[in-house]
Amino acid sequence: MKLEAKAFLLVVVVAAFMFLGSYFTMVVPLSDPTLNDPGKDAKPYTALELQGRQTYISEGCVYCHTQQVRSLLEETQRYGMGEEETFKRFGIRALIQAPPSQPGEYVFDKPHLLGTRRTGPDLGRVGGKYDNTWHLNHLRDPRSTSPGSIMPSYTWLFTKAGQPTPDAIALVAYLQKLGSNIKWREEGVAQYKMLHPELQQAPPVVAQTAKEVAP
Amino acid sequence: MEQHVDKSARWFLYTAITFFLVTILIGLIMAIKFVAPEFLGGIAALGVGRIRVIHTNGVLFGWLLAADMGLCFYIVPRLAGVKLWSEKLGLATLGVWVVVLLGAVVTLAAGDTQAREYLELNVWLDILVTIAWVMFGLNIFMTIARRRHANMYASLWYIMGTLLWTAILWIVANLPVYSGVNDANVNWWFGHNAVGLIFTPVGLAIAYYFIPKSTGNPLYSHKLSLIGFWTIAFLYIWNGAHHIIFGPIPVWLQTVAILFSISLLIPVWTAVTNFYGTLRGKWASGNYVVKFFIAGTTFYLLTCFQGPMHSLRTVNMIVSKTDWIVGHAHMAVFGAFTFFAIGGIYFALPKILKTDLFSAKLAEWHFWLSFVGFLGFAISLWIGGFVQGLQWMDPTIAFLDTVKAMFPYYMVRMFSAILMVTAQVIFAYNIFKTVRGASARVQPAVA
Ligand code: HEC
Repeated sequence: MKLEAKAFLLVVVVAAFMFLGSYFTMVVPLSDPTLNDPGKDAKPYTALELQGRQTYISEGCVYCHTQQVRSLLEETQRYGMGEEETFKRFGIRALIQAPPSQPGEYVFDKPHLLGTRRTGPDLGRVGGKYDNTWHLNHLRDPRSTSPGSIMPSYTWLFTKAGQPTPDAIALVAYLQKLGSNIKWREEGVAQYKMLHPELQQAPPVVAQTAKEVAP
Repeated sequence: MEQHVDKSARWFLYTAITFFLVTILIGLIMAIKFVAPEFLGGIAALGVGRIRVIHTNGVLFGWLLAADMGLCFYIVPRLAGVKLWSEKLGLATLGVWVVVLLGAVVTLAAGDTQAREYLELNVWLDILVTIAWVMFGLNIFMTIARRRHANMYASLWYIMGTLLWTAILWIVANLPVYSGVNDANVNWWFGHNAVGLIFTPVGLAIAYYFIPKSTGNPLYSHKLSLIGFWTIAFLYIWNGAHHIIFGPIPVWLQTVAILFSISLLIPVWTAVTNFYGTLRGKWASGNYVVKFFIAGTTFYLLTCFQGPMHSLRTVNMIVSKTDWIVGHAHMAVFGAFTFFAIGGIYFALPKILKTDLFSAKLAEWHFWLSFVGFLGFAISLWIGGFVQGLQWMDPTIAFLDTVKAMFPYYMVRMFSAILMVTAQVIFAYNIFKTVRGASARVQPAVA
C-alpha cells in the first residue's frame, strides 16, 4: 500500500475509534433524560447565588473542595448530621445520613463544580450546616473557626474594617444553597422520630446515645 | 544529507524551558502554602485556587506541550528526510503560543476561568490554541507529505495521531453546550485523554525516536509499536468516567470505564517492553540522556499500573480525592513525559547547535536531583494520601484532624519540591550556557 493511502486510512480508523468510544461514553449519557431532569431535586439559582457561584469559581475553591457525596455508607455518615448538630437544631440526639448526590441536583450547574480533590471537606451538602456568621468568619480567617486549617484566608473578600463585601455575602448565599434542595435534614429527623415514637413525648435529652459522628 | 534549519524547534524549546522554570516555581509556592497557609497571604492573585490553575496550565501548555512541539519540529523533518515545510509558519505558531501563555497567566491570575479542570482558559485563548494547533498540524502534515523516505517510523504514526486527537478533544470539549453531570463527564472525557491521547502518544513518539538514537541500539520491535498505537487509539477514549466512580453518574458508565481502564495495561506493556528491549545493555553505561529515558520508562510503567488499579472500586473508594492521586498525576506528567522531553532536549539541542552540551556533569546532577526529588514528592503523597483516605472511611475522625495529619507529608513534599525546582534551574543554566557557547563560536565566522 502506498504511504498516502496508509496515512489516509490511519486518519479514518483513528477517527472512527474515537467516535465509537465517545458515542457510548458521552453521547448516550448526554441524551439520558434522567441526567437532565431536575425533578424535585433542584431549583434554578437566584441572581445572588449565581454571583456567589462566580466568586467560588474565580477563587478556585473547586480545587480544594468537591461537591459530590459519593454513594458510600461512610461518606453519607461523614457528611450527614452528627448528634451535636441534631441536638442543637432539632432537640434529639441522632445520626442522620446525608443522601448521596443525585444527577438531578446538578442540572443548573454550568460549569459543573464536582471537583476531584478534597484538601478540605466535600461541600455537596454543606448548605444549612453552619450559620452565615460562621461562614463569614471562616472565610476571613479559617483558623479562627477551625484551628489548624490550611484553607487560605480570603481577606480580599472583606473590607479593611472586616466587613464582608457583596462578593462574600453572595458566596455565603451560594454555600447555603449547596445540597439543600433535598430537605434531607428535616426529612431525616422526621423519619427518625417516626421510628422512635417514644421521642414524641419524652424530653429530648434522654434520647439514645450513639457514637458521636464528627462534622 | 539534508541541512536542517531547526529554528522553530530551537525557539519552541527555549520558550518551553523558560515556562518550565516559572510554572514549577509556582508549584513550589503552592507546596509551601500547604504547610504555611499564610505564606504570601492576602493577595488574591496568589491564592491557592488561582495559582493552582496557573501551575497546571503552565506546566501542560507552557512547558510540556511546547517542548513536545519543539521536539516534533526536530524529529519529523529527520524522519521524513526533508526540511521542515515552513520555518516561518513554525515561528508564527510559536508567536501565537506565547500570546496564549502570557494571556493565560494574566487571565487566570485575575480569576477569569471556565472552572472545568484543564479547560480553564477563556474562550479567546481557546480559539488561539485552536489556531496555533492547526498551524502546527499543517506544518507537520506537509512535511510528512513531502518526505523522501518510504517507510513511516513509529514516531510519525504517534505524532500524526496526536495531531488529530488533540484537535478533536480540544474542540469538542470546549463547546459551550454541556451542563450538570454531563459537563463533568465531558470534562473527564477530555481530562483523561489530555494525558492519554495527547501527552502519551507524543511522549511515546519522542521516546521511540530518541531511545534508539541515544543508545545506538535498533528498535526492539516495530510490530509492538504498532500494536501499541492501535490499542491506544481504541482503548483510551472510553475511560473518562473512572474519575467519577461512586459519583452521581450512571453505574453502567462507571463500570464501562473500569473495564477499559484495566485493558490499558496492554498498550502500556507493549511500549515498555519495547523501550526496555531497546535499552538493553545500556543501563550501566548510559549517559544522562539514556538515564532520563530509563527512569521515564520506569515511571511510565508504574503510573500506568497505578491508573487501572485506582479504577477498581475497592481501591478507588480509598484513594480517590486524596493526595495519592496528586502523586500519581505527577508521575505521569513529570516522572514519565517530562523526563522523556528532557532526554530529547539534551540529545537534540546540541545537535541543532552543532556543539557539545556545556556540562555533562551538571546534566547528571540535573537527573539525580529530579529523580530523588520526585521520589520524595510522590512517595510522601502516596503514603499521606492513603492514610488520609483510610481516615475518611472512619466518620468518627473529624475532617480537620485528617487535615492536620497530613502536615508531616506536606513538609516532605515541600522539601522534595525544592530539590525538583533546583534541578530544573541547573537544567536551564546548562542549556543557557550551551546556547551562549554555541553562538560565541559562530559569531566570529559570521563577522
Ligand atoms: C488550600 C485548599 C482550600 C481552598 C482553596 C479552599 N478551602 Fe475551604 N477548606 C479547606 C480545608 C482544609 C477545610 C477544613 C478545615 C476548615 O474548616 O477550615 C476547609 C473547610 C471549608 C468549609 C467548611 C466545611 C465543613 O463542612 O466544615 C467551607 C464552607 C469552605 N471550606 C469553603 C471554601 C470556599 C467557599 C472556598 C473558596 C473561596 C474555599 N473553601 C477554598 C481547604 C481549602
